[in-house]
Amino acid sequence: MTRLRVTDRSTGETLAEVDPGDRVAPAPHGERAVVLAGAAPPTARGRLPVEVVVAGWRFELEVEDADLAALRERATAGGAAAIHHGPTEVRAIIPGRVVSVAVTPGDAVVAGQRLLAVEAMKMENELRAPRDGTVERVAVAVGETVELGDPLVLLR
Amino acid sequence: MTSADPPFGRVLVANRGEIAVRIIRACHELGMESVAVYSDADRDARHVQLADIAVRLGPAPASESYLRIDAVVDAARSTGAEAIHPGYGFLSERSAFARAVEEAGIVFVGPPPGVIDAIGDKARARAVARSVGVETVPGSIEPVRTDRPDLLDAIVVEAGRIGFPLLVKAAAGGGGRGMRRVASAAELPAALAAGSAEAASAFGDGTVYLEREIRPARHVEVQLLGDTTGRIIAIGERDCSLQRRHQKLIEEAPAPGLSADSRRALHAMAVRLGEASGLRNAATAEFLGAPDGMFYFLEVNTRLQVEHGVTELVAGLDIVHEQFRLAAGAPLSAAALAAADRASEPDGHAIEVRLSAEDPSRDFAPTPGRIRRWIMPAGPGVRIDTGMGLGDRVPPEYDNLVAKILVHAPDRDGAIDRLRGALDETEIAGIQTTLPFDRFVVRHAGFRAGDLSTDWVADQWDGPAERGRYAGAAAKAAARALVDGVPALGDPGPSVPERPAQAAPGDGWGAAARADAIDRWPR
Repeated sequence: MTRLRVTDRSTGETLAEVDPGDRVAPAPHGERAVVLAGAAPPTARGRLPVEVVVAGWRFELEVEDADLAALRERATAGGAAAIHHGPTEVRAIIPGRVVSVAVTPGDAVVAGQRLLAVEAMKMENELRAPRDGTVERVAVAVGETVELGDPLVLLR
Repeated sequence: MTSADPPFGRVLVANRGEIAVRIIRACHELGMESVAVYSDADRDARHVQLADIAVRLGPAPASESYLRIDAVVDAARSTGAEAIHPGYGFLSERSAFARAVEEAGIVFVGPPPGVIDAIGDKARARAVARSVGVETVPGSIEPVRTDRPDLLDAIVVEAGRIGFPLLVKAAAGGGGRGMRRVASAAELPAALAAGSAEAASAFGDGTVYLEREIRPARHVEVQLLGDTTGRIIAIGERDCSLQRRHQKLIEEAPAPGLSADSRRALHAMAVRLGEASGLRNAATAEFLGAPDGMFYFLEVNTRLQVEHGVTELVAGLDIVHEQFRLAAGAPLSAAALAAADRASEPDGHAIEVRLSAEDPSRDFAPTPGRIRRWIMPAGPGVRIDTGMGLGDRVPPEYDNLVAKILVHAPDRDGAIDRLRGALDETEIAGIQTTLPFDRFVVRHAGFRAGDLSTDWVADQWDGPAERGRYAGAAAKAAARALVDGVPALGDPGPSVPERPAQAAPGDGWGAAARADAIDRWPR
């Protein structure tokens, strides 16, 4: 079962990483939690903003896949670094099988251009170039199985 | 038993929020038409909807609307109102307002302006108290000069005579504004300057005086009613010890732990004060209860109190009804006199919590915003006074009070049990309120034991820790929501964003979320 990361919107801090399959531990006096859709839009796609009120305490939270959250953080750090330090590593954001590779080393690509596709859970997920650049290296081939976070393409 | 004739034909209510709603209800019960006034922030407020007529005063800031004497009096004149009820706060204790109302030929529901002047000024009220043998907290009766550095030495000598720690207090106001605690003579000059400046900005009068600090102390106050013949009665006392920075949080009636004799003595002191100052209509005499059982007079509020409801529940009397009848010149009613007779041996117990838009985990900081869920308790012995509801905005311009939850039961234990249940039923979302603090209090053994003091909140309440105890439960509920979908129950706000959780419950969210992430990643 996928672990989920719950972030406090007011502080940006991770409140907990929980498995939604877990039985919910009761609040100190067995209080019921009321969950509403968040009033504010999500801070990033794939993140669900919710307002939870339990025992009168109001929590403005965001929930997302914990693995995706970790990756996004790494990617953000890598992307930011790339602006100053050169190459950008495109990594697998899901585990799966590479079903197509659209680029070869030396290709010039523009931001948003399709690089390769990974099939997972019977769905094909496209990976696109995060910025303009030149493909320096392609680390995988069609048919290979990749794990979450594996380096796939290096852009310069 | 109600009088056949309404005291007035039409009454203007010069207030907003829950107290305006409460007074408008009383108007209608007595067969009187009501006129509401409102600022631009309150155009759609409950009190405006409830009133027979509504008049706009001006823009949202109180100084341009609810505090404008001319605009309020004009509104009464133009609508033909015969009386104005000021509620509490705003203009309720401004003698200039009462005077302007009377000069316009309109009845002011409250004491005459001269009495507001005399007794509303705390330093003058203390002098009156001493003249009728009522103890006051040791302090300087005369205001201290803060504008004459050359007199500072004399003030320090006076402070030494009163004793440290002492309080610098504003002569013109309440609510802790302009108040400074001074632990030693060295701190006095800065405290005088700061207290005076704060008083000047809050009340338009920077006059301050000195008073010894009594700790631990209870805050006990007596509800008074008076008619035009000069007759004054006390209809009960309230304990308002649970305060934070001199803002009351929870009040109850009667004050726990008082014998009938001490209750009788306390009421008698309050009546003497009322008689000596020529009090009319309704007012409240506030006392500080010292650990030795001594009561010291603090001040008189010449208006309806926020917490008047607990006295109403115990006394079986509608204080606002009485105010209107008294303002119309009627003598004290048989019901009021009977309540006064019972006041020293009251039957039943009532507690009120002030539900405010404040964050009790962040030093009770204001939390204005829109109410996105609103479930108020109900049932036997539960009374809700509010001007708010689902979808309403708690405006940042005014007081943070969103609702008063009052309970009434045969005894104090029963009232606490009832309050605990009522608070457990209460659900509010969209804004943080003081509800967690109130829930904590009703479960606290010290509160149940009646062990009350004005230091209680500072001593017992650790807001961040209390909130932290619920973070895990909140996180798990949020995680479940992502899997199961978020119920938009009672959500009047913007529609639920089209998140994967709604589009595809079960496992589908994962793929959709990933597709989203891929679309954007990395950025």
